Amino acid sequence: MKIKKTAFASVLFLLGFLNWVSLFAQQALGQEKISNIRYEIWVELDDQKKMLSGEEDLTWFNRTQDEVQDMLFHLYYNAFKNENSTALQEAKEETLFGIRVKEGAWGWIDVTKIELADGRDLKPTMEFVTKDEPIHPGDQTVMRVRFPESVKPGQEVRLKLKFQSKIPKTILRSGYYQNSYFIAQWFPKPGVYEEGKGWNCHEYHLNSEFFADFADFVVHITVPSNFVVGASGKQIIAEPEEKKKTVTYTFEQTNIHDFAWTADPDFIKVERDFIADQEVSPKEYEEVAQKLGLPQDEVKLHNVKMILLIEREHKGQIERHFKALRAAIKYYSLWYGPYPYETVTMVDPPFRTGSGGMEYPTLFTAGTSVLTSKNVLSPEGVIIHEFGHGFWYGLCANNEFEEAWLDEGINTYSTGKVQAKAYGQGEMSMRFKRIPLNRFFSFPRYYDYEQDRAAAISIVKYDPIMTESWKFFNRMSYAANVYMRASTCLNTLEKLVGEDAMLRIMRTFHTRFRFKHPRSQDFINVVHEITGKSFNWFFDQLFFNTLNFDYGISLLRSYEKPKHGRGIFDVNGKKEEWTDRKVTGLKEKKSEKKEVYVTEVRVRRFGEARVGGEAKIKVKVVFADGSEEVRSWDGQSRWANFTFEKPVKAKQAEVDPDRIWIIDSNFANNSLKLEPSRGGVFRLATKFLFWVQNCLQLFSTLS
Amino acid sequence: MLIYLWLINFLFSLVIITPVYFLINRDYSRSLMGNRLLQGIDLLWLGDIIYKYQDILPALTGWMLFPAILFLALYVFLNGGIIGRVIAEDEKTNPSNFFGDCGKYFFRFLRVFLISAVGYIILFGVIFKFFSALFNLWTKNASTEWTVTIASNLLFLIQILLFSIVGMFFDYVKVRLVAEDSRKTLKATIANFSFIGKKFFKAWALYLLVGIISILLGIVFVGVSNILPKGGTSLIVLFIWQQIYIFSKMWVKVLFFSTEYNFLRVHKI
Repeated sequence: MKIKKTAFASVLFLLGFLNWVSLFAQQALGQEKISNIRYEIWVELDDQKKMLSGEEDLTWFNRTQDEVQDMLFHLYYNAFKNENSTALQEAKEETLFGIRVKEGAWGWIDVTKIELADGRDLKPTMEFVTKDEPIHPGDQTVMRVRFPESVKPGQEVRLKLKFQSKIPKTILRSGYYQNSYFIAQWFPKPGVYEEGKGWNCHEYHLNSEFFADFADFVVHITVPSNFVVGASGKQIIAEPEEKKKTVTYTFEQTNIHDFAWTADPDFIKVERDFIADQEVSPKEYEEVAQKLGLPQDEVKLHNVKMILLIEREHKGQIERHFKALRAAIKYYSLWYGPYPYETVTMVDPPFRTGSGGMEYPTLFTAGTSVLTSKNVLSPEGVIIHEFGHGFWYGLCANNEFEEAWLDEGINTYSTGKVQAKAYGQGEMSMRFKRIPLNRFFSFPRYYDYEQDRAAAISIVKYDPIMTESWKFFNRMSYAANVYMRASTCLNTLEKLVGEDAMLRIMRTFHTRFRFKHPRSQDFINVVHEITGKSFNWFFDQLFFNTLNFDYGISLLRSYEKPKHGRGIFDVNGKKEEWTDRKVTGLKEKKSEKKEVYVTEVRVRRFGEARVGGEAKIKVKVVFADGSEEVRSWDGQSRWANFTFEKPVKAKQAEVDPDRIWIIDSNFANNSLKLEPSRGGVFRLATKFLFWVQNCLQLFSTLS
Repeated sequence: MLIYLWLINFLFSLVIITPVYFLINRDYSRSLMGNRLLQGIDLLWLGDIIYKYQDILPALTGWMLFPAILFLALYVFLNGGIIGRVIAEDEKTNPSNFFGDCGKYFFRFLRVFLISAVGYIILFGVIFKFFSALFNLWTKNASTEWTVTIASNLLFLIQILLFSIVGMFFDYVKVRLVAEDSRKTLKATIANFSFIGKKFFKAWALYLLVGIISILLGIVFVGVSNILPKGGTSLIVLFIWQQIYIFSKMWVKVLFFSTEYNFLRVHKI
């Protein structure tokens, strides 16, 4: 047993050494330093007590010009410690009853030791910090320690911590249910030090995801030997300890900013390879390279090891999971930049751990049901979306507390593109008592952007997209704004600048800010750079404000142009009166001349948002003979009139006929026909009538 | 008789949907989006509709609720006509005898309705809750989604079956009141316990059989609706088909009373 331990320690030492060598080599070669932190964590799961005990060896590099005197840590598990935490207070403020944590289900983390590498104890300086407005003084999710002397620019500080955590029972996508665990936001994690500003370290908020610095991780996870484990990064070794009936798994990954893991005795672990050359044809490489204006070598993808941890009851869906993941790796990598890690772990979340649909670096959770329909893109949608986060939040690691849309919105937009490319339209999911009705009936099919728009237009009055995550009106406003409204605005931007330009915008933004922490202005700057135009007006109106975008047509009329007006006219120095009779007399001679019809169209800006820059509102009028007239309107004033003279009457008029402004909240008023046609109205009305008839009949059974 | 029932249902529904029709007509009859309404549900127009009408939705719901309650009260009245005409099987139904029966039995049926309301309150408020709690206990520590799926469907089935028992019970009370031309509602209700108690399974099987016929009719309706072409004149065809289905539901309603009357006659009277 001892021999085994020694061998294990040697392997770890060797791995650690190799890691240092690689880091040194990277720096020697002049490559950009990515990670500001190096972690080595030892954590043990106590399945009986639902506890974690851990040790953390942390080195932080001060790459700023500031002298840093303290360090702020996230202790996210304390969000579940009691009802005074910011997250649970926010839940209460929003829903009155809040999140009801059952007896014994609370979670917490205690830092039992924190000292410098030389043994100087920092624990006496430890304090909890609550800075986010409104203040929740009972929150313990941010901890500060003060250094005896400041960390100078270019220097590093090494800390040793010990912690004890109680795992919460299924709450906010973390925790345990029976003997299944999803362990996220579990270790003391420093905030992000911003030069000149200090530590950016927000509390755990109900409506927010996270923000952390890039780091190199080595994590040793000890669990009972019957558990199957998955984690961020690459598994290096699994070392059983027969006496304790445990296994210690070591995972390692450089350049990631978070680390999550899962353990469940019932997981089935399946591995597949994403082999780039088999997935992407030379023609596809050529096309993408051409669109992006890049050499083909730069768009080449890497092979990736795909790991799936799936629950036994979903065994029949293994191929569905891999197919979706392959599509996600392929298109995200082709369009935005190659996936830079060797592995990706896809976790089918254990039952009732509430951990589905969440992203962590190189690991994400999907989510499916025992009964599915092949027509509904579930779990495909969630797999593509959560993997996609790895490209935005994972690599362009924006601050999710302050500008969530940069991840959520961009990724919702990207998910829609990838899903449409790989699968086309999906069917609306309808379930009754967990049974997918799509197996028996057909339901409407739609693209993601259509669904996003439905939410986006309804939420505009609450908050601007650019709102700090915990300051949104409510959870619905947070979600609909940062996901759907942002995505709908990006789809509108794509229509405005063109698909190819949008692809270049996304690629440039991604590659330029990979392994960095971009802000919204960085994205806007890239838009300006690629298009060569200012789109400040677009972002000001649609991202920074709550302005409804709605252009439409309020009037369309066509009438025969009078040959002459009525009244007194000066003719050869004499006053001549044109009466009704005289004008009608002219009309009767119409066979002499062709009739001319005047068509008047009034376009209106019903919403407060207005187009800007070079963008115009297109107005198209279709006439009875099939001919068309197109005009442009700058859309600045509240309304404008357009007049046409043609030998025929108009048939219809439409603003934005190419449907560029997907963000327009009312497509119904975008067009006006000269003559009404009630087929559609009749269909909808009869459908509604039939529905009411059925309801009444059902209601009558109570009589 | 079926014509009267259908007509009443149709007119009530028409009243309910009229404001909705005018709203949709105002916003969509001259819009090109109106053409998309023809092609079935589409998230672009559905999103528009939700957005446009979100503020009037509470008012609209209120508007729908009032006629619905009135309809329920009306059915208390109509039940007398339906059962009266079922029992007078040899007579030809005309407005005079149909509505005459409606009036004749209205107050008796109103009392049955009030008693049945207590029955339904007990069913929904106590018995359903009890079963839900029982199933929650079962699924509380479930290890797989299968347990929850099976349990929730089983619970639903039990709720439907319990509902059918209560429905059947009060149907027999009404049929008995008409068949015996009795005014003693409470007595008939109590006596019905004894009758249903003795012949429960046979009566229930018969009731469920008619219920199954209703489900089969629903399946036929959906099947045929799915193959009907969309747009153009097929709109009229679909409308007629929908009304045939509603008509068939009226027929099932009469069938319930008719089978119950015959069952009562065979086993008691």
